Amino acid sequence: MGPVISTPGPERARPRGTVSGDRYRSFVFAPADLAEDVDLPVELKKEILYLHARLGEIDHWELLGVDWNASADAARAAYLGKVKVFHPDRHGGRRLGTYLGRIEKIFRALTEARDVLGDEPRRAEYAKRTAPPDEFARMETRRLEDEARTGERRARLARGNPLVARVARVQDLVRRGKQAMAEGKFSQAANDFFTVLGLDPRHVEARALADEAKKRATAERARALYERAVESETVGNRHAAVAAAREAAETDPANPRYATFASRLALEVGDVEEARALAEQAVRAGPREGRALEALGAALQAQGHAKEARRALERALELDPALESAKALLKKLRWSFLG
Amino acid sequence: MSDLDLDPVIGIDLGTTNSVVATVIDGVPRVIQNRNGQLLTPSIVAIAKNGRRLVGQIAKRQAITNAESTVFAAKRLIGRRWGSREVEDARKVLPYELVPGPDGNDVRVRMAERVWPVPEISALVLSELKSDAEAFFGRRVTRAVVTVPAYFNDGQRQATKDAGRIAGLDVMRIINEPTSAALAYGFGKSVEKKVVVFDLGGGTFDVSILDIGKSVYDVVGVGGDTYLGGEDFDRRVMDWLTFTFAKEHDGVDLRQDKMALQRLRDAAEKAKCELSAAPGSSIHLPFLVGGGEGRPALHLEKQLLREKLEELTHDLVDRCIQVTDRTLRDAGVRPSQIGDVILVGGMTRMPRVQRAVREFFGREPSRGVHPEEVVALGAAIQGHALAHPAKGSTEVLLLDVTPQNLGIMVVGGYFQTIIQKNTTVPTSQTHIFTTSQDNQAAVRIAVLQGASEKAIENELLGEFVLPGLRPARRGDIEVEVTFDITADGIVGVSARDLMTGQRQSITVTATSGLTEEELKRIMDENLDELLEKKQVVSDFERRRETAERLIAGIEALVPAVTAALARSRFGKDAVQKAEAVVQRARASIAARDGAQLGGLEEQLDRTLQLFKGLAGGNAGEGHT
Repeated sequence: MGPVISTPGPERARPRGTVSGDRYRSFVFAPADLAEDVDLPVELKKEILYLHARLGEIDHWELLGVDWNASADAARAAYLGKVKVFHPDRHGGRRLGTYLGRIEKIFRALTEARDVLGDEPRRAEYAKRTAPPDEFARMETRRLEDEARTGERRARLARGNPLVARVARVQDLVRRGKQAMAEGKFSQAANDFFTVLGLDPRHVEARALADEAKKRATAERARALYERAVESETVGNRHAAVAAAREAAETDPANPRYATFASRLALEVGDVEEARALAEQAVRAGPREGRALEALGAALQAQGHAKEARRALERALELDPALESAKALLKKLRWSFLG
Repeated sequence: MSDLDLDPVIGIDLGTTNSVVATVIDGVPRVIQNRNGQLLTPSIVAIAKNGRRLVGQIAKRQAITNAESTVFAAKRLIGRRWGSREVEDARKVLPYELVPGPDGNDVRVRMAERVWPVPEISALVLSELKSDAEAFFGRRVTRAVVTVPAYFNDGQRQATKDAGRIAGLDVMRIINEPTSAALAYGFGKSVEKKVVVFDLGGGTFDVSILDIGKSVYDVVGVGGDTYLGGEDFDRRVMDWLTFTFAKEHDGVDLRQDKMALQRLRDAAEKAKCELSAAPGSSIHLPFLVGGGEGRPALHLEKQLLREKLEELTHDLVDRCIQVTDRTLRDAGVRPSQIGDVILVGGMTRMPRVQRAVREFFGREPSRGVHPEEVVALGAAIQGHALAHPAKGSTEVLLLDVTPQNLGIMVVGGYFQTIIQKNTTVPTSQTHIFTTSQDNQAAVRIAVLQGASEKAIENELLGEFVLPGLRPARRGDIEVEVTFDITADGIVGVSARDLMTGQRQSITVTATSGLTEEELKRIMDENLDELLEKKQVVSDFERRRETAERLIAGIEALVPAVTAALARSRFGKDAVQKAEAVVQRARASIAARDGAQLGGLEEQLDRTLQLFKGLAGGNAGEGHT
């Protein structure tokens, strides 16, 4: 092999930088430097002077002679080629004069460039920082496009993924249920909350809300039935009234009012058995409810259990002394007893 | 043009147990045989009873009878500080005496009534190798590249360089052993990959990672343990032998007997080496220690199996792998990225070590290089490249790295790294520091090398003062400290007051413990010694070889003869008599006393004939 590499290799097309073939065109060599008597070929002297003078201004890519954004491997390979020229050991035994210092400086810069470009994270960061303007604009556009695409992709993913979809559905239903509650549509709300519990049985909020909504939906329905019963009675449709009142009592067994009312209506249409059962239900739901006891008393009396009827009526009056109908009944019973 | 026309350059692997010298001839690296015709020269020096200096195989042979004046493993001491852990450990196990140097800092060796600086001991080995090379070339050799373990600090490298100077060599470069091995590995092929050099030698363990491409050898990471090597394996075997021996012979402690200890050391090393090829090895040391008080001498007879050796040393192998793992991590390289693993050093012949390497890297280690010669060959290649940089055939370039962190001491006694470990040299780094006190007039720059955060636990390479700072509040004065390392590893440190531009600097020449005058004096003395040494030793050598052959024959027959005598009515004292003759012959060899040895030759021969007869009779009885 001949002497050390002395001329730069054919320049590759570069986004910017020097033009191939006339590397030193805009560079002025100091005659004293070029004339220094050392054991180096003149081309190498020129290259050393040129690189040394430009160390502060050229970037790592240009120093190593690779394209902007060249790979870490390419940078390392370029480094290995360059150091064969610029390592002081390659000039052992030669007279180098002031060139030794320049060679060492160039070598250090090359090593620094290798340290950055040979290490992928640092290389990528440096590439971003040193991107030429057109390249930078292109990168920026691509980055924005990428961001938009990423958002879209995430949404698509959410739809496709059953787990993600279910979480989204639960949130949706809870929101809808709450709104229905606020609007007083309790049965609709209850329906939503129970659906949520089907999807996610451990949803604590949904469980509490579901119970609440259910209770309120029931109360709502019972009241509607009661109102219908009252209406039917007013128009004289007693059987329909009984049926509606009974349903109200069944729907909301906790409310003694409905059972009491149903019991009274049943007694009026002559269904004594039914009247007693409803009255007993009313007393169970409201043991301290005078009217319930009064209804029970009336039913018992109709069945002929005078003693029990009297006790119930006495208790009813004890709880609510204003119950005229109870007083009247009791009086009747007394009479009967005496008679 | 032949390389012989050029000024010859040699590469020297200055090992803990053995040293090798090589050169490049006609573009091909080759090992130079020593004058005994061997490739390896034991790194052992001795002063014989008659005052003569012995180096290499001759010194090794007489080590048994002259333990106090035989120095081996000097590499473990070179450039070390007196009082360091390594030196304290060495003092416990070495049969020769260590003393502190005149300033109490370095370690010196007492050998035959004289105190020797360690570099001078190493210089004896180097000059022996230099003479071998001169005999080979038929002309003077002055330039050399010498290898050291990658983990050697500046002091140890400087001491090795001094040893070269004492030996009359211009040490062109100190290079790392693993790097050197990689140079030899890649020589003549086009290698484009990352390789790991796993170097387990006699006394040190080194691991290096190199990125090789375009004949450039770029070191990307080094690590190691300066106190882990073949001798530690030997010592495990020795300890096992002394322990079992003590158990079998009522607590006889072989460590009290330096001669026995030396024979034990040799036997342990030999057994260890044999176990690399065979599943078992028998250790056979007749007349190891006197029984005392008229009782017969005690013999050691032991079988060592490979499994036992592996059991005794498994933690040492584990340590090697741990160090390798850490080094790869430091360099940011995964085991799977490694293209080849080069095994260097005699210890890598051990099957257990090879297995551990194979398991760690998941690949078969390279078998292309000779583990004992490869380091010297690489040094020769680098020497050739440095001396003749433009020659095509050996156009290699080695990019070495700093082995340890370099920095200065800062407030609070802490160590501030300026040049990180594993930085490619030549390099320079600059840091700006500020004053720590109001109106501080000067800053003291203490240059340190090491891995510890605390300044005091690192090696002090040198210090200087930058005076004349203008009075100011603390923190207001800025001082720029620049570290500069040249290709041959010379560290320069400068400090500059950024306000006034005032500058101070030093070139750090790590001290090897020898002053310049001392070096000069030693070199003058050596010149006289060299002139005197020309005389030929052939007559003695011939006699010694005969005697040693006879001794070996006698010792091999001892078990058979002992058995025969046990059943016989006569010749009970034959073994004791033989023992006496053998001892006298060994002493003569140690003293290099050819005349006395000649006289003993006949007695040895007679003893051997007698033994052969007795052993033969024994065999005959066995048949009837």
